[in-house]
Amino acid sequence: MAGANEPVEGAGAGEQPVVMMDYFMHLEYHEVVCPIVRRYAASLMEGKILGQFSPKSGLVYVPPRSYCPVSCEWLGEDNLIELEDRGVITAFTIVTPVQYYGQEETEPFAKASVLLDGPGGMLSLQDILEIPPDEVRIGMKVEAVWLPESERNTDEIGNRSWGSAAGAIVGWRPTGEPDLPAETFTDKVY
Amino acid sequence: MNDIAIVGYAQSPSWERAELTEVQFLFPVIADAIAAANIDRRDIGFTCAGSCDYLSGQTFAFVSNLEAVGAWPPISESHVEMDGAWAMYEAWIALQHGDIDVALAFGSGKSSPGDPAHIYPLQMDPYTLTPLGADPASLAALQARALLDSGRITEREMAEVAARNRKDAIGNPHAQVSGEVDVDALLATPYVTAPMRAHDLPPYSDGACAVIMATADKAREICENPVWIRGIDHRIEIHQPGMRDLRESPSTAAAGHGAGVGDGPVDIAELSVAYTHQEKILTDALGLGDGVKINPSGGPLTANPMMATGLSRIAEAARAIQRGDAKRAVAHATSGQPLQQNLVCVLEGDLR
Repeated sequence: MAGANEPVEGAGAGEQPVVMMDYFMHLEYHEVVCPIVRRYAASLMEGKILGQFSPKSGLVYVPPRSYCPVSCEWLGEDNLIELEDRGVITAFTIVTPVQYYGQEETEPFAKASVLLDGPGGMLSLQDILEIPPDEVRIGMKVEAVWLPESERNTDEIGNRSWGSAAGAIVGWRPTGEPDLPAETFTDKVY
Repeated sequence: MNDIAIVGYAQSPSWERAELTEVQFLFPVIADAIAAANIDRRDIGFTCAGSCDYLSGQTFAFVSNLEAVGAWPPISESHVEMDGAWAMYEAWIALQHGDIDVALAFGSGKSSPGDPAHIYPLQMDPYTLTPLGADPASLAALQARALLDSGRITEREMAEVAARNRKDAIGNPHAQVSGEVDVDALLATPYVTAPMRAHDLPPYSDGACAVIMATADKAREICENPVWIRGIDHRIEIHQPGMRDLRESPSTAAAGHGAGVGDGPVDIAELSVAYTHQEKILTDALGLGDGVKINPSGGPLTANPMMATGLSRIAEAARAIQRGDAKRAVAHATSGQPLQQNLVCVLEGDLR
């Protein structure tokens, strides 16, 4: 972009030169974390992953969200369940970082969707640890790597961080168990 | 035009700062409207939503709002980055096609996370007005000044609008501001931005409103007292406020004419009067005389859920008809600054 008031040649009609201007915009938002996500954040501090089960659709939401969009059912405290901190990778992407402003990563890394064992629940955009990104596979069994209790925080948990356990779970490492068949998860690629 | 009726509606409270997310507080509003319409969710043939992603500061926030509707199996839906009243207009058009018989329109907004004085200038001309920070209150103040200078209103009359609205809002469960206030006491308060005092400005509310419409046969089948949409129209004026005579609202007048406001007596009018002086501009544009009760609900000066304020006018007018307070009512919604685009809807009770 040209600097402020710098004429751009050949772009205008008539005798007035066309000038460019910079306009920097700054918007700030402060949002109250909703009650059910506050409850989820508190459970992470205790080393537990809390989800919500919809009896009508059979789906599990993590973090809990107070409703099931599929069955259109309001979910309350009674629908809260504690989830497993082990699961299976159902989808992943390898990110090759572009060095835009604010990018702290320099090497390729994997972000994966982890379907939790037992009743279920899906955590998305999870870091996969201890193996290079090109070894991440759909069907790979993983377990959560928790931060020590004293180092946990809920700074990054908000209404918009659906699927995040940041501040409590560093990432997920392979358990070494045999893979589950990838085709099992064709409907869980989100 | 095919006869279309409002068969159900619901509103959330107007919160200064909602604890729930927009989807969470929208959820019971949609469910209540469906229950009020005495239909099954799957009976809805078309859904249209009005909201503004800038308010929540989240791209595609309008998509997650659909979670409150139930969009699986897939539904036919649309969205306008406008007040829910325009979503209702689109849904009304869809019903005119005749291939569906029930439609849902809703509007929702959560203003509290951001600062509207910073967000709304972004909808203005990006070269001159946005960098100036042309916010709604400042533009409304320019409009009020022009009207005051013309001698058509006084600051006292503006305060009287505020006092009457707040008194009327007593007992309205959807209102954020209500109570008995003394006009002299209001006039003794300082200007926020001259000539606007705090009571001349609306609250910014978090909230939602949903309306369900049906074609004539369906409406009579499911609803004991449908509220008929006798006319609905919307018009827009030039974007640059400096090129308009801010004392008049020709787009409201044109929309009112198109909707047939003057074709019969009007008992009540629910108008999007977010700034006290705008009541005068709008009643003049619509030709509403002294016998018309304006904003019996309290209006936007007492409850202003952005993106749902206009649709709430329609819901409040429908409620007044169903309650027997009015036979024929006018509802008005506005978009842009100040009163740039206007929608007018004429509602009537069942005359059987």
